[in-house]
Amino acid sequence: MAQIKMINVQKFFGQNQVLQDLNLTIEDGEFVVFVGQSGGGKTTALRAIAGLETITSGKILIDGVEVQDRKAADRDIAFVFQSFSLYPHMTVRENITFPLRAVRMDKTARDKAVNETAEILQITEHLDRKPSSLSGGDMQRVAIGRALVRRPQALLMDEPLGVLDSKLREQMRSELKRLHIARGSTSVYVTHDQIEAMSLADQMVILHDGVLQQVGAPDDVYLKPKNLFVAKFVGSPVMNVADVQINGSEVTMKGVDTGFTFDESTLASLAKYDTEITLGLRPEAILLSQARTKGYTQAVTTNIEPLGSHDIVDVRLGDTVLRVRTESGFVSGEGQPVWVGLDTTQAHFFDKKTELNLRGAA
Amino acid sequence: MAGVRTSREKWGNRIAIATVFVALIIMLTPIYWITATAFKPRNLATTIPPTVVFTPEVSPFVKLFTKRSQLRDQPTQKEYDAAPWWEQMVFDGGEKVVRNRKTGEVRPSGYADRFKNSLIIAITSTLLAVSMGTLTAYGFSRFKVRGEDDWMFFILSTRMLPPVVVAIPMFLMYRVVGLNDTHLGLIILYTAFNLSFAVWIMKGFIDEIPKEYEEAALVDGYTRMQAFFKVVLPEALTGMAATAVFCFITAWNEYAFALIMTTRKAQTSPPFIPSQIGSGLPDWTVIAAGTFLFLIPVAVFTFLLRNHLLRGMSFGAIRK
Ligand SMILES: Nc1ncnc2c1ncn2[C@@H]1O[C@H](COP(=O)(O)OP(=O)(O)OP(=O)(O)O)[C@@H](O)[C@H]1O
Ligand SMILES: [Mg+2]
Repeated sequence: MAQIKMINVQKFFGQNQVLQDLNLTIEDGEFVVFVGQSGGGKTTALRAIAGLETITSGKILIDGVEVQDRKAADRDIAFVFQSFSLYPHMTVRENITFPLRAVRMDKTARDKAVNETAEILQITEHLDRKPSSLSGGDMQRVAIGRALVRRPQALLMDEPLGVLDSKLREQMRSELKRLHIARGSTSVYVTHDQIEAMSLADQMVILHDGVLQQVGAPDDVYLKPKNLFVAKFVGSPVMNVADVQINGSEVTMKGVDTGFTFDESTLASLAKYDTEITLGLRPEAILLSQARTKGYTQAVTTNIEPLGSHDIVDVRLGDTVLRVRTESGFVSGEGQPVWVGLDTTQAHFFDKKTELNLRGAA
Repeated sequence: MAGVRTSREKWGNRIAIATVFVALIIMLTPIYWITATAFKPRNLATTIPPTVVFTPEVSPFVKLFTKRSQLRDQPTQKEYDAAPWWEQMVFDGGEKVVRNRKTGEVRPSGYADRFKNSLIIAITSTLLAVSMGTLTAYGFSRFKVRGEDDWMFFILSTRMLPPVVVAIPMFLMYRVVGLNDTHLGLIILYTAFNLSFAVWIMKGFIDEIPKEYEEAALVDGYTRMQAFFKVVLPEALTGMAATAVFCFITAWNEYAFALIMTTRKAQTSPPFIPSQIGSGLPDWTVIAAGTFLFLIPVAVFTFLLRNHLLRGMSFGAIRK
């Protein structure tokens, strides 16, 4: 088990900077998830920790020891790859045994470790089969088994569930969580699926274009996004954003005659920024009412997505379409007039230029 | 090919089968003819019209492996009866087997030695070309090589000149360094010959093996060399087999350099067989017998590797 630290890590591929000033500490036993869009540098960061990619500058420490110049073999880390999972010419047992042969473990200890791992992952009955005859889920289990069997300092996983269908993914997700709790190994997990990230992570690390956007517990990241990218990336449906004008305690969206009333003090703190403001609202921060209500603005529904447990209703307010989360059946159809209000405590204000969240403390 | 077939598809299918059939006939006739001639008595080998029905005999093979001379006088009945069956066959053909005056041992023709030379040279050069080619291809495939494309083109360009063009300078150089008429000389030539081909084919195969295969091994604590032997090589075997078949065929059949560079000690079968035509009336049955035996190793080699070969040829076209 180990603590992993990245200090000022930079990585260039030719002219292309893929990691920029990456500073990150992964505590011993933590489950850390890297998320971000494709090409964000998640895989590269993971490969740098594993020693499969040399970094251009900066330091990587494992338990306080600098390892950036060490070979992968000497870092005692296991890796589950994004695209590759198993050697086709070896049976499942041989695949799982393979890492143990490298460290010249004796045969009895080896067999014991393999059987234990197989049991935990429920793949004992497949041990003598070839990978090609396994289902996708079992293949991923074996791939994870390969990584776990050596009891490495840290376990790095690059979208290990990426190829599975959503149902199996959900099941494997909870298995991974259970495994992590049982083993307590430091784990770094990469995914571009923010729901997977939130359900697994102790700490989420959001990367975009090689720049670290935010590190924090899933709740933190969801409730207090540091900038517009994080705000829009985390959460589904995506956060509503609209350019707004602030007059005293009124916040008005562009192209709407009436505004929303906010607490004076909240808006006063924004005034000092003297820049254009973007308002960010999660679907649950918007309230709908069938009847005229004080402080609410009239709007029209344009689309309804019934999702069973709740509905997502699109309402048109001037030029802006807002996606709102309501209880199911709250709105009966499209083209209906509704009254829209805000839960002002859940509203986010972003600087339109820097995209930073201006309601820093909130 | 399940499902409904239109009559047009049926006709297309029939035409395809017919074409394959015609192609097969064209390709197999010479092989049939060589095989048939190798088992014919000499007087039936060159009749007009050709003889198709005959009693096969092995006399061409006896003659192929022994040194013979023209009979001046017919052997006496006693001499004839005392001779073993195969020597009688040679008598029947109007020739006699040359024996050592003192020991009475049969003098061999030299075909067996040439055949052995062919095997040694073709197998060794194939092994060398395939293993060197695989390592080179691995290097090009996995590491950043400055000017990789230029190097690969350079390697290929060694094949753009017809090899015979350099035969005379090679001959002169070989004479200076003493490689003329040696196994090593031909092995070096054929290896060099096949290497560029092997590098190109193997590069294709190794590029198809995900680099994660080795990276997984590297993370697990293996060295790159171990990773290469344990995970890359087993995956590359198919490609190596396909490459080996082609290299072997090239080395086995090579004629021009073998003719120029070797005379006796290291001579291979291809220049030896036609040398038996000699002066006077050629004995086509002996030539056919030599050719027939010469075809067998390639056939066996290809047959043994056929599964790899088929997979190798369709590699890339059909993945998994
Ligand atoms: N070996 C390489 N050579 C050159 N550029 C590379 C290499 N590997 C990655 N890159 C580039 O680095 C950037 C980050 O890639 P990376 O694979 O780390 O992204 P990712 O976040 O893992 O994306 P994905 O979700 O698609 O897996 C991309 O722009 C990619 O093109
Ligand atoms: Mg990736």
